[in-house]
Amino acid sequence: MSQMKEKMDVLQGTLALMVLKTLEVLGPLHGYAIARRIEQISGDLLSVNQGTLYPVLLKLEQEGSIASEWGSSENNRKARFYRLTRGGRKQLQAEFRGWEQTAAIMGRFFVLKEEDLK
Amino acid sequence: MRPLRRFLKRLSSWARTQQDEERLRAEIEEHLAMQTAENLRSGLSPTEARRQAVLKFGGVEAMKEDYRAQKGLPFLETLAQDTRHTLRRLRKAPAFTITTVLTLALGIGATTSIFTLVHAVLLKSLPVANPNELYRLGKETRCCYQGGYSQEKEFSLVSYDLYKYLRDNTKGFAELAAFPAFEPLFGVRRAGNSEAAQSYPGEFVSGNYFTMFGIQAYAGRTLTAQDDRPGAPPAAVMSYRLWQQQYGSDPSVIGSVFNLDDKPFTVVGITPPSFFGEALRNTPPDFFLPLNAEPFVEVDADLNKYDTHWLDLIGRIQPGAKPASIEAEMRVELKQWLRSHWGEMSANDRAKFPKQTLYLSPGGAGITSMREQYEHWLQILMMVSGFALLIVCANVANLMLVRGMERRRQVSLSMALGAQASRVVRQPLTESILLSLFGGAAGLAVAFAGTRLILHFAFPSFAGFASVPISASPSMPVLLFAFVTSLLTGVVFGIAPAWMATRVDPIEALRGVSRSSERTGSVPRKTLVVFQAALSLVLLSAAGLLTAALHNLENQDFGFEQDRRIVATMNPRLAGYRTDQLSLLYRRIHDSIASVPGVSSVALCQYAPLSGGAWGSGVWVDGQPPPGPTDDYFAWWDRVTAGYFAVIGNPIIRGRGISEEDTSASRNVAVINEAFARKFFKDEDPIGKHFGREPGASRQFEVVGVAKDSRYVAHNLDKPIGAFFFLPEAQAEYARSNQGSLFLHDIVIFTGPGPGLSTARVREAMASVDPNMPIISIRTLREQVAGQFSQQRLIARLTSFFGVLSLVLASIGLYGVTAYNAGLRVGEIGVRMALGADRGDIVALVLRGALMLIVLGLLIGLPLTFAAGKVLGSQLYGMNTYNPVVTSVAVLALGLSAMLASLIPAFRASLISPLDALRVE
Repeated sequence: MSQMKEKMDVLQGTLALMVLKTLEVLGPLHGYAIARRIEQISGDLLSVNQGTLYPVLLKLEQEGSIASEWGSSENNRKARFYRLTRGGRKQLQAEFRGWEQTAAIMGRFFVLKEEDLK
Repeated sequence: MRPLRRFLKRLSSWARTQQDEERLRAEIEEHLAMQTAENLRSGLSPTEARRQAVLKFGGVEAMKEDYRAQKGLPFLETLAQDTRHTLRRLRKAPAFTITTVLTLALGIGATTSIFTLVHAVLLKSLPVANPNELYRLGKETRCCYQGGYSQEKEFSLVSYDLYKYLRDNTKGFAELAAFPAFEPLFGVRRAGNSEAAQSYPGEFVSGNYFTMFGIQAYAGRTLTAQDDRPGAPPAAVMSYRLWQQQYGSDPSVIGSVFNLDDKPFTVVGITPPSFFGEALRNTPPDFFLPLNAEPFVEVDADLNKYDTHWLDLIGRIQPGAKPASIEAEMRVELKQWLRSHWGEMSANDRAKFPKQTLYLSPGGAGITSMREQYEHWLQILMMVSGFALLIVCANVANLMLVRGMERRRQVSLSMALGAQASRVVRQPLTESILLSLFGGAAGLAVAFAGTRLILHFAFPSFAGFASVPISASPSMPVLLFAFVTSLLTGVVFGIAPAWMATRVDPIEALRGVSRSSERTGSVPRKTLVVFQAALSLVLLSAAGLLTAALHNLENQDFGFEQDRRIVATMNPRLAGYRTDQLSLLYRRIHDSIASVPGVSSVALCQYAPLSGGAWGSGVWVDGQPPPGPTDDYFAWWDRVTAGYFAVIGNPIIRGRGISEEDTSASRNVAVINEAFARKFFKDEDPIGKHFGREPGASRQFEVVGVAKDSRYVAHNLDKPIGAFFFLPEAQAEYARSNQGSLFLHDIVIFTGPGPGLSTARVREAMASVDPNMPIISIRTLREQVAGQFSQQRLIARLTSFFGVLSLVLASIGLYGVTAYNAGLRVGEIGVRMALGADRGDIVALVLRGALMLIVLGLLIGLPLTFAAGKVLGSQLYGMNTYNPVVTSVAVLALGLSAMLASLIPAFRASLISPLDALRVE
């Protein structure tokens, strides 16, 4: 049970960051478009469970990182558009730096060879 | 910040659930539509395109669940759901719901109404600014005068001179105020008004009294130090109550002159409505006068006597000051002041000087004489009502358990289908808490009515006077108490059924419930019945003890006759009489009333027996050494007119009573009671002996008679009657001091046999003497005596009420358990009967089970009853706390009602036809 939840949290954390980044780069998008972009970039992470995106969107909105409103899509359908708020931008920057650091550290670790530690 | 924002968002979105569900549905639909469109473009058939889209989206319901968990507050939602569900279930079982709510209302209401009193009398602070800054002099409260320069245990009353000394030298007090330890009645008449004077209580207070309490005038102004100077124009502050009720909030009252005991005072202001003085009292004061006006009103003023201690002190300490260091400072000041009066001190006072000390205690509640008076019986009532509430809980728990049994099939089914245990427990718990909250709400109504009733009996008020400042309507703390009590009650009686609910084997659902549940659940229910029986026994025997004690009190030998005696109360002081007019006035009252038809004889006295007042004095016996510092030389005394002993029916054992031959010209005589003779004359013959009321005046009175001991003073009913002496009114020293004792208050009337006396005729007779002098009250001596025991009667009746209530509830509980168990044993009974058991055997079988429980309850309850007797202690007025008669009656009452409660189901069980019973199997 707890293991499952942990996995979920990691996924959600990553997903949240991807959503924020996508919105930063591409501007306001509806849920389907966000799912498509993330799918394109991350491969199959979302190919099975596109639905999991919506709880993440909701959480981000509650935290004030993104805002949403009804609009019309490219083929004139009613769709809910999400956009990055100022708070979200800040959050993205902070988290991005965090990721960069983590990634850098992890990167250095993985290129380590046995003699480096001697 | 972010979690908070999230919480608020969740809270608001929880409120907009419907709308959001709609939004989510729309979004999902949109998403699927777009995905389907895309799939179509890549060449899939329409059906397949849709199917793939849905597959890709993932479990919609799981996602929705996840989404909802993110969005709202699942806990609140479940709670709301449980509540709705429970309400529906309760509506479907109206009989159960109403019974439970009513039982709970009774229990919670009774406890709450007792708590209302506990809160008002024992817990509440005065309605003044920052009561926690107030400190008062003395650990215990004292009434009313202390003479000389020493006080037992602690110096708690002070003279005006000592007050000024303490006030001016104690730096730790921002204000230190003084007021007398008693509350005189004033005859009040608005100047220029020709109506008869009305009597109202008032008190003298130091000029800083209102400043010290931080009390602003409701209208006009309060008293100030300027008003409290010798020679200042007499000013008075009136209570809001009197202003509103008697003068219709007339603004012209402020600034107008009122005569108090025929002395003109200008009313300068009105106190705020909530203010009732410095003490909770049956009759709050209606006038506040400056201390320095005391010599202006009282003929025999105490203000300037250094050695008459009659003032209580309350002070507001400086911010940050330590009470302990103020106390130390004041102890030194007390010693200094005493030393400065060394020359006037008696030998006894000097001997006691090293021990003289004082104490400060928190004064936020004011002078707590009422607290001390009522504390013990309020504690008893609180305990009794708490017990009753526990019995109520047990009963409701029993009902709930039965309900739980009926639901077993449903519960085991939900468990089998995977319901969480916590969710299963929550349901019965929600139900019990909801029920007890309803019970609590209904209980508030019961509490309001109950409190009013108790206030009426416990704090008798007098017509025209303010009543005790306790409100029956629930205050915030009382509401909180009722709420918390209801909640706790709900948990207490709900916890067992809830716990039982989880102990269901899911497999049961698949079997017949009636078979497998035979034994489960009967143990907790039986325990509850045993518990109820034990508590009922305790309550019943407590009620029995209190009732027996009351019976003893009421039927004791009072030493005087109650039949055909009527007591009329008056106050000549209120009509402005001077002491030199009194002798003639008394003669005229006597003659006027004696001429009323039906009156056999009349006598006047300061105080009739058990009227609530009496004077005390020291006694110096002729021919005996003067009393030492530790000797008890105290006696009560009364002043009476000729023939008094015959009128009141108090037998004279030796010598003679007070008669017409005792005049101002003859030798001064006294009649003593037996206790006086024992205390001061030991085995000697008291007739012809002399004693006095002051040092050096031991030949003041000659003893001419000994009266049988009779009960005059009500506050020590558990003690033997104390020493008492009677002086003739005709020999009163009208020219000398102590004028207060010259005013006689009670007219005792001995009526002839036959129909009762018309009180109207008595009033007419009084009016013919002086239309301005009202009769304050007129009642039979029997009523007056009974009035002294109203508090004891109330507590005995309330405890009996709780006792009977608990007995009824315990019987219902036993009935329920017995009936239920008998129902479960139908099969067994059938087998037994088929095997040859007759009806008697079956009755015995069922009864045995029920009576076992009661016997167990009795065994547990009996030791507790002895403990209860100990707790009651002084409320029993000297009666033995172990009373075998009372205990056996309680046991018998419980046993009989238990028998009755279990016989019905036992007989019903024995009527089962064996064939039917076996068919159940």
